[in-house]
Amino acid sequence: MAKPVVVLVGADKGGVGKTTVSRTILDYLAARKIPTRAFDTEWPRGTLKRFHPDITEVVDVTSVADQMKIFDTLETSSAAVTLIDVRAGIMSSTLNALRNIGFLDAGRKGQLTFALFHILGSSIASLDEIAETSHYLADAKYFLVKNFINNTSFFEWDQATYNSYFKQFKDAVEITIPQLSEMAYEQVELVAAPFTNFIANKAANGLPANHSFVLRGYVRHWLENVWSEFDRVKFLDLVGVREGATEATKPRLMKLAEAAAS
Amino acid sequence: MSILSFDDEIEERGYDVRARRDAGGGTGPLYIVCSPRKSVGKTLLARLIAEFYFAHDRPIAAFDLADEGPQLSDFLPDVTTAVELGSMRGQMGFFDRLIGEKHAAKVVDVSHRMFRDFFVIANKIGILEEASRRGIEPIILFLIDPDEKSAGAYSILQRWFAEISLLPVRNQIVSNGIPYWGSFPNESPIHVALEVPLLSASVKNLIAQTSFSFARFQRTQSIGLPVRLDDELRGFIRRVFRQFCEMEQRRMCGDVRGHWSSSP
Repeated sequence: MAKPVVVLVGADKGGVGKTTVSRTILDYLAARKIPTRAFDTEWPRGTLKRFHPDITEVVDVTSVADQMKIFDTLETSSAAVTLIDVRAGIMSSTLNALRNIGFLDAGRKGQLTFALFHILGSSIASLDEIAETSHYLADAKYFLVKNFINNTSFFEWDQATYNSYFKQFKDAVEITIPQLSEMAYEQVELVAAPFTNFIANKAANGLPANHSFVLRGYVRHWLENVWSEFDRVKFLDLVGVREGATEATKPRLMKLAEAAAS
Repeated sequence: MSILSFDDEIEERGYDVRARRDAGGGTGPLYIVCSPRKSVGKTLLARLIAEFYFAHDRPIAAFDLADEGPQLSDFLPDVTTAVELGSMRGQMGFFDRLIGEKHAAKVVDVSHRMFRDFFVIANKIGILEEASRRGIEPIILFLIDPDEKSAGAYSILQRWFAEISLLPVRNQIVSNGIPYWGSFPNESPIHVALEVPLLSASVKNLIAQTSFSFARFQRTQSIGLPVRLDDELRGFIRRVFRQFCEMEQRRMCGDVRGHWSSSP
């Protein structure tokens, strides 16, 4: 049996796009038919659940009961990947809890695969977060995500400073999320559907919709670029490549658009 | 009769450019008239296409991306929509309409200043491929000229829109001496050589009047022009419209040249 894969998406800073990145990962895995479940730690209201209600459960990751719900079921769940969207301010404490329950050790021993998508904000505080976070990770796959979706300029960053931080973690891999037109982004928010549904001109419930082709085109182009980044960093290697899962990103999304047209 | 009284006569004859009927039926194509260079005859070509449809009583919608006059909307105000690509709302209003309405043919006059933006957006959102999927055939009409920038732009469009018909158009005023298949090869399935013939200065002045309509002129016996100029202009319209007819036929029937040449 394949090792369970746990993907944590987090940042201590709020509003840096954790849920957006989680959504792109869920869409990416769904397009490759990789069974995935997600936990939304924006407890009790939830944010990720709005977009992927069928596979997402809202949990209080600080409670032992909910930690059991996530981690004690890794072996028995039918999902190959468990994604946890960690709400702002609790990434360090969550990593701490993972260390305390022996989860990080299990990863180190190769019993499971653990990846962290650390979403960086534009402020210098994000660089300090990297230092703070990295000492938990050891053998985990560490992705540093620079999220430009809202045209973030990372104005406070001095590239030399960033590089000096970045080089401390030889295994860290950088991912860039490009900018998406604000109107297109907001429209998908309003629809509350996966990006792939929006591209395929479908509503959240999968029924045909009437979204603007222009907005769908922008979202498709943007998601192609995001998924290309996932392809580039060989994200699927974590999961174990399956037959049919390696098809390039662009044709996949074009097929969605074509399906919408037909 | 002066050119100013031309409208009255046309109305008496029952021809009204405001009420277009579709005589052809089916799905109208999408013509994109473009060049990265100014003053090569883009607006004239866009006008001629629209007038070709008027002449055949077929519906056409025109879109004007120019930002300096005289522009398409000055000549064809009744059927032309000014387009603003700078905002997302402008793009939605324009591109969504291009593919939303299938019945009428459409002609887009892409000014040299909007050339890059238009095609970058079109490539990004895949609008031309989407039009094709919906049965609206996009045809890019590229006015060629000797500038290297044009040859480079043409080659980029060929690469970006490999599945779309990209046709070089020679305006004889600006492109004399450019070999047809040199820097501007026509690799589209529509093999037709499009040319805007030369005109004398007097006729150029006449057609530069915003009230002038090629279709109305063609349907009228005389507007009081000297015979030489009348003949020249009628010959010009006939020649251009014949090329459009050929393009339409090849578009609808599929070009057979390639099939013949590949037959044993």
